[in-house]
Amino acid sequence: MAKEKKKASKHGNSNAYIFAAILLFVVTVTNMFQTSYLYGNVRKVNDQTGDTMNCINQIRGQLSNINETMLMLIGQIGVPAENAAKMGAYFGQMTEQINRFENFDTISDTTRHRFAYAKTFISGYQDSINLLREKFMETSSLGQEIAEEQAKEHPDYQLIQSNAAKISELNSEMDDMYTQDIYPMQVTASEMLIATIELNSADAAEKGAALVKVFIFVEALMVGVLILGEVAIFIIARYAKKARLELEERERNLQEVGARLKSTRQKASDLAVTNILTGMKNRYALDSDISERLESDRFNIAVFDMDNFRIINDTYGYDFGDEYLVAIAEKLKQEFSESAEIYNISGNEFCFVFNREITESQVMGIIQNIQAIMSSPFTVLNLTVQLTVSGAFYHYLPGDCLNLNSLLVKLDTTMRNAKMNGGNMINTVVNM
Amino acid sequence: MNKMKRKGILSRIALCAVSLTMVASVSACGKSDADNSNGKIAVITKSDKVSFWSEVQKGSQDACDEYGYEMLYYAASGDNDYASQQEYINDAIKQEVEAIVIAPNDPKELNESFKKAEAAGIKIININSRADYDGVSSLIASSDSDAGKVAARNAYKLLMAANNAENGAGGSSPVSKIAIIGHTAATADERVNSFKDDFAERLGNYIDKQRTAMMQAQAAQAQAAAAEGGDSSESGDASSAGGPPAGVTTGGDASAAGGDSSQASGMKQRAEGETAAMISQFFIEGERCSTIDAAYEEAKLLINENPDIRIMYGTNTNTTLGICKAVEELDLGSNVIVVGFNSDESELKYIRSGILDGTVIQNPYTMGYISIKYAKDVAAGKGVATKLDTGVTWIDASNLNQDLVQALLYPEKIGG
Repeated sequence: MAKEKKKASKHGNSNAYIFAAILLFVVTVTNMFQTSYLYGNVRKVNDQTGDTMNCINQIRGQLSNINETMLMLIGQIGVPAENAAKMGAYFGQMTEQINRFENFDTISDTTRHRFAYAKTFISGYQDSINLLREKFMETSSLGQEIAEEQAKEHPDYQLIQSNAAKISELNSEMDDMYTQDIYPMQVTASEMLIATIELNSADAAEKGAALVKVFIFVEALMVGVLILGEVAIFIIARYAKKARLELEERERNLQEVGARLKSTRQKASDLAVTNILTGMKNRYALDSDISERLESDRFNIAVFDMDNFRIINDTYGYDFGDEYLVAIAEKLKQEFSESAEIYNISGNEFCFVFNREITESQVMGIIQNIQAIMSSPFTVLNLTVQLTVSGAFYHYLPGDCLNLNSLLVKLDTTMRNAKMNGGNMINTVVNM
Repeated sequence: MNKMKRKGILSRIALCAVSLTMVASVSACGKSDADNSNGKIAVITKSDKVSFWSEVQKGSQDACDEYGYEMLYYAASGDNDYASQQEYINDAIKQEVEAIVIAPNDPKELNESFKKAEAAGIKIININSRADYDGVSSLIASSDSDAGKVAARNAYKLLMAANNAENGAGGSSPVSKIAIIGHTAATADERVNSFKDDFAERLGNYIDKQRTAMMQAQAAQAQAAAAEGGDSSESGDASSAGGPPAGVTTGGDASAAGGDSSQASGMKQRAEGETAAMISQFFIEGERCSTIDAAYEEAKLLINENPDIRIMYGTNTNTTLGICKAVEELDLGSNVIVVGFNSDESELKYIRSGILDGTVIQNPYTMGYISIKYAKDVAAGKGVATKLDTGVTWIDASNLNQDLVQALLYPEKIGG
């Protein structure tokens, strides 16, 4: 279970970072697109508004030009043919602009409706102006007739008179037409066109506002997402931290337990290979130390046994015997640890496996020493005791024995021999 | 338990974030202009029974819709009801309108109310006729004198056409009587007077022309008779004496005539004076009427007293309808030329049936529309023209179905 939790927290951690990265990416990209979209559209709306306004203002300008030219025509200012041509041109341009306006696809229905109304007046104005122009042309040609007639030698005064009358009639008609019909129409058309511009601007403002609305909405959404994301990350991070702390603590506990286990195991294994009483390595230790060396190694090994140790136990009790052995073991450890590995392979039997560097002659000397010390008096629990000791020595050669048992048997047999011969002697194992 | 707690906090924070978002978007929403967000404008007209004012209402309503204002519409009961209009102005002030667009039923009686409105910061626009008050920002109307002139011009044309059809030539007295029934509002005077002046001028010119032509013909005859017994060179002089235009009607510059000028000009002036006097006798003005029935009765009265009436002229919807009713009843449609004002559906019916020979229409829809446009401009502090002439148009059976006329009569048809 600890393992699962560990996995989860680790995923939680990296999940949070992945999540944060994705969130940042999404928010940034959305913002980029939003801004460019908004900018593009607002610009488009502005451009279109500018275009339509420009279009309508041109129409108004042409209306005004036509009006001015008409007045010039009537007032006989400038060259009539020129003026007439100019008027034609203005009409053409105006029609062009009207068509252009109607072809814009960004105009709202209301604006279009208002423009259609204005257009009706512009058409009426156009028709009236054309009528006026016709009348003017008539006066022109009548006047020309008069001039031609007057240039003649015998002018036809009837004709001149009637032409003149007609001209003045036409003049007053044109006058009336202009003030009563045409001028108000132009004014109305102009007002309606201004209204169209205003409506279009209002439309554009609305569109702009709508765009901004959408922008703000998405921005707010992004902010919401961001906040959510941040909060989520925060929470996940806290969770991850807690989990990590928990994990660390568990690991520490585990380590402690492990260490304790190790030391216990060590102790246990130590216990297995240690003689409880003397604290010396026991037979199992010897087994494990030596078994590998039997096949290929040569070494000097000696075993010493207290003679008649039973007497001590019987006379002074097992506790005393134990203490006595402990004292001996201590002494042996003291004296001979540097020269050999000492094993307490059974109650009062001590085994010495001499270090490699000790030569055989030295060994002979040492084992004499061992015998001497082991059989010296020991004071234990305010009593002094002394026992003799028997020993067996083996100069082991590689492959002599297959296992420790057979080695010990050899040594034991040699030892028994020594004991049967009264003890207090060291025999050497002879290989048969 | 930790997990549940976590979930709890998370969901609470999620809720916060979402509601924050919604608040932000809604607050942005709030700025959108709803239909009536710019304020209110009051429109007060003269009557709710006449289609003219309904058209004004339509124009104002369209403008208010387009510009985002709420329209408060009031109509008095008739041309003389200024008392109701005073009430309406007070109501408008209470409702805190931005501007009042009003067709005043009296030039002076509303001034007190106007002062109150001005004190409240409300702008005043007049339509159709002007109140005698300084604080009026603008007048949107059609020119009444133009209207009278257009009526006269066309009535004259119709008269000439009818005469030519009947007699071939006019003779020196082409018309006997012209009856005029005006309405009671202030606009009637101009319409009547300008009609009379214009018609009199045309008729006068015509009569003078005829007279001069006759004199010339007589002179030529005399010359020809003299020439038969005399020198051909004299006839040449005589004809040149009769030559250069004496018939030029622009004020009759008698000095243009060669030869015996002083006598000719004196005669001419005397003739002109006679003409004017004669013409002024042709016009018969009835009582001013405000309702169709009153006009009808008056028309019948006039016809009874003057059976030789050739032209009848009404100066607004009701007078025109009254005259038409009388003419129809007395079956005088083919004898009497009726010209009138405005384009009520009943009037259009009379046009189609031939009783009403033509009317002068103003442009009530445009009047209503532009008055609102000007009102909102003035309320916003922009300057506007002090007068806008929305113009008049003559309609009769011949142009009734033209685009422009249809647009003027039925503005809602435009633009599809």
